[in-house]
Amino acid sequence: MNRMDISRGNLLLEFFSEEIPARMQLNSEKQLKNLFIKSLTQREIDFESFKTYSGPRHLSIIIKNIELEQKDQKIEKRGPRFDAHQKAIDGFLKSNQLNLNETVIKDTKNGKFYFHSQMIKGKKTCEILPDIIHEIVNGFVWPKSQRWGFTDLRWARPLRNIVLLLNDDIVKGKIKIGKDVFLNFTNFTYSHRHIDKKITINKIKNYEQLLEDNLVIIDRNKRLQKIINDTSYLLEEEKLKLVDDKSLIEEVVGLVEYPNVLIGSISKKFMKLPREVLSTAMRVHQKYFSILDKKNNLVSKFLFVANSLKEKDRDFSVIEGNQRVLNARLSDASYFFENDITNTFENWNEKLKKVLFYEGLGSLHDKTIRMANISSNFAQAFGVKSELAKQATLLSKADLVSEMVTEFPELQGIMGGYYAKIKNKSDEISRAIFEHYKPKGISDNLPETNIGSLLSMVDKIDTLVGFFTIGKKPTGSKDPFALRRNGFSIAQILINWKLNMSLNEIIAPSLKEYVCSSQTIKLSLIEFMIDKLKFILSNQNNRIDVIESVLNTTIVKDLPIKAISSRIDIIMKFTKNNDFKIFLANFKRINNILKSEKFSNNAQFEVNIKFFETIEEENIYNFIDSFSKEIKKKGICKESQKVLITSLIKMNESISLFFDKVIVNHHNYNIKTNRLNLLKNLHNSISEFSSFKFIEN
Amino acid sequence: MSKINCFQSIITKLQSFWIDQGCVLLQPYDLEVGAGTFHPATILRVLGPDPIWKAAYVQPCRRPTDGRYGENPNRLQHYYQFQVIIQPSPEEIQNLYLESLKFIGLNPKDHDIRFVEDDWESPTLGASGLGWEIWCDGMEISQFTYFQQVGGIDVKPVASEITYGLERLAMFIQKLENVYDLDWDGIEKNKGGKTYGDIFLQQEKEFSIYNFEKSETSFLFKQFNDSETECKNLLNNKKYALALPAYHQCIKASHIFNLLDARGVISVSERQSYILRVRNMARSSCLAWMGKLNE
Repeated sequence: MNRMDISRGNLLLEFFSEEIPARMQLNSEKQLKNLFIKSLTQREIDFESFKTYSGPRHLSIIIKNIELEQKDQKIEKRGPRFDAHQKAIDGFLKSNQLNLNETVIKDTKNGKFYFHSQMIKGKKTCEILPDIIHEIVNGFVWPKSQRWGFTDLRWARPLRNIVLLLNDDIVKGKIKIGKDVFLNFTNFTYSHRHIDKKITINKIKNYEQLLEDNLVIIDRNKRLQKIINDTSYLLEEEKLKLVDDKSLIEEVVGLVEYPNVLIGSISKKFMKLPREVLSTAMRVHQKYFSILDKKNNLVSKFLFVANSLKEKDRDFSVIEGNQRVLNARLSDASYFFENDITNTFENWNEKLKKVLFYEGLGSLHDKTIRMANISSNFAQAFGVKSELAKQATLLSKADLVSEMVTEFPELQGIMGGYYAKIKNKSDEISRAIFEHYKPKGISDNLPETNIGSLLSMVDKIDTLVGFFTIGKKPTGSKDPFALRRNGFSIAQILINWKLNMSLNEIIAPSLKEYVCSSQTIKLSLIEFMIDKLKFILSNQNNRIDVIESVLNTTIVKDLPIKAISSRIDIIMKFTKNNDFKIFLANFKRINNILKSEKFSNNAQFEVNIKFFETIEEENIYNFIDSFSKEIKKKGICKESQKVLITSLIKMNESISLFFDKVIVNHHNYNIKTNRLNLLKNLHNSISEFSSFKFIEN
Repeated sequence: MSKINCFQSIITKLQSFWIDQGCVLLQPYDLEVGAGTFHPATILRVLGPDPIWKAAYVQPCRRPTDGRYGENPNRLQHYYQFQVIIQPSPEEIQNLYLESLKFIGLNPKDHDIRFVEDDWESPTLGASGLGWEIWCDGMEISQFTYFQQVGGIDVKPVASEITYGLERLAMFIQKLENVYDLDWDGIEKNKGGKTYGDIFLQQEKEFSIYNFEKSETSFLFKQFNDSETECKNLLNNKKYALALPAYHQCIKASHIFNLLDARGVISVSERQSYILRVRNMARSSCLAWMGKLNE
């Protein structure tokens, strides 16, 4: 493309508003881009490239080498069918003021029609832009939006000014934002509040620099980079580092126009508070970062990002102000902590009786009782003493009514863990309570201890099963109780611990607690969990076809998770094996034969040995018998999965011989049916191990 | 501490600043309220009849559950807000706010002022708006809200509400960490000067005991029901629905609900229904104020 092309130019659009919430800014850049490009494409106005920017108050896009004139538009009008009544044709011509020779007849999928096409000269881009801006402004979707003054337009916060320049000239026009309320397009924007002035944009190419000179770094990546650089500069010397907090840093980038990284100190007396309390109090209310030393200990400093140019005196008083605020916050936290440690778990548990878990699912106290009751079913599988598991569950929710957790809900579990330790509960119990909300999402760490995993599991199962029993299972995009995440967490723990329990055994005790005997609910829970297992397993580099093959066996709900897991492993290992490939081909052949035959669903597929004519049939028959026995005996055992798959492969020769020597489609109906039934039995027997039809070659 | 920065001078300065902006200077509403927003000068006036309404006033606020027996340096069950309500929201409202800070001796250019997303919703008033909490060097000193709905009714034109947390603001200006140390009058201690604690510490202690331990809940339950009945009766008069007295009862009920809440006698499942009852009173009063109750 020729950059000097006089038919093209650069465009700048900036929406200047009051402070847009940080969490919405990045997406607003994307929306601005998408809406603009859509409007240009629809109108056949070409451009070369674009760049978007966003900060608290400025949201803008620069479009490079945009055509200054729209391409000529071909407008085509369809008339009546070519064999329509003459009146209809005349009517079409008359209403469009046309002669017949100005029309053509074209074939469409609905038949032949008269058409008239017309070229309309493309308009000037600057004439079209007001319409485009109108479309963008009205097409914007904010997660939350508002009106202001007399406007009808909704924006995340009041929209105060629109810059619209094409080739450095203001595009004449305005948009309507309410009855008798308009915003004119301008060529000025506003500086950082510390400078507090209106600035005129003369050249689009200077836009970014002009704003930066006025203390607005409009490129969010530049702001991020400045924060990162300034931070490492400040921390490097003392070999300190930030606690990693990606979401906080991204939020902060959206709160400042000109980042100024500063460090304050925390009064030593607060350093005895649990580190999670310190960092939560800093992060949640103040958006401060915690700082670690070489040994990963929290140091008595905090880092924050002010919105200003560096200036010694001001920075000093800003730091001082922030320190005072943090002191106040932390003395609040200390107050909660001191009060909490004089309270007791018994007292908290008593209070839990008054806190509703969910309508129809009892109080939080009821929840802990249910959890305690089912915990014994899991004790052996996790290698935990049943009594200990029970104790941990009964103490696990107490902290929800402590003052600290009431103030900082994100400290649930963590505080319970600390308080348990302070109250001289065993380390195991304290640790279990501490980590039992983990994993909080599929990328979060799992609980480390076996008792913590058990507690996490019974908590989540109780929640999942409870909501299913009252008909609140997730549907479509609706999952208000985050049950899917809950299911993923259960699946993660199950697989991580390769638990010696089946889905049935995991779900049944909880259903019993809810006095629920509905088979439908049980089945939908199992189906739900199989689905979650599938996802988690496929996330761990397992082949999805192998996962499907194992999870689609009919008895999967009764298979211990550890057997499922090792069966998937062993099949994965065997997929490269030549004998396995032969086995798979044989299996698919059987599957195809059976597919082409109609079996009534309830048929017993009885095989009668008196119809056997060949040794090959007998061999298959014997194999089915022995494999069925073998899988019954060894199927649930983790170590035997290799034995089982080896047994299957050993059948290769017999099956191949069967296909060589035996004609299934025998003229004698009884013999034919018997052979088909034999194959059906073979198929079913093998499928108890895995539905091999899912596996791709 | 000088007289310039004392608690009462911050109030008088804010008053004179907003008077200069054309605000009607009002006095606190004479009932216990949870926030300055409850004042009829905000809640009812933004619904009309005049599309232009500007008012400023101090409002003592009571939040029974925030009581800490005077032991916490930052939490009070009784505190002051300075409330400014301007309808329609003017284009330069943010700048006016920043000017007001400058006027009370807090020059925005010497500080790190931030507008941080904080949307406001009052379930009991059926009211909501979008806006920010305003940080000054990390301290939240004000709330800023563009009213979108009140009593479930769209606010048109939109009104802007600014609420200064007077104690927070004064603590910031006086560089203090304990609210009870605030200099109230700018007079030295040995000359009879008073701190915030001199005036309010005892009140915090006694009311915390009352709110959490001693209030007679059977009285409160009855009062709530009585207020609700009275509110309904006042609005039921078809010829002449008494919106202001009805709303007065709604405010009473709302505070009684807060007191009951502090006593922990309202279960989670009941809570929602109490909130709904207050909201219904608020909505009906608002509709009556607009003359639309029976429409």
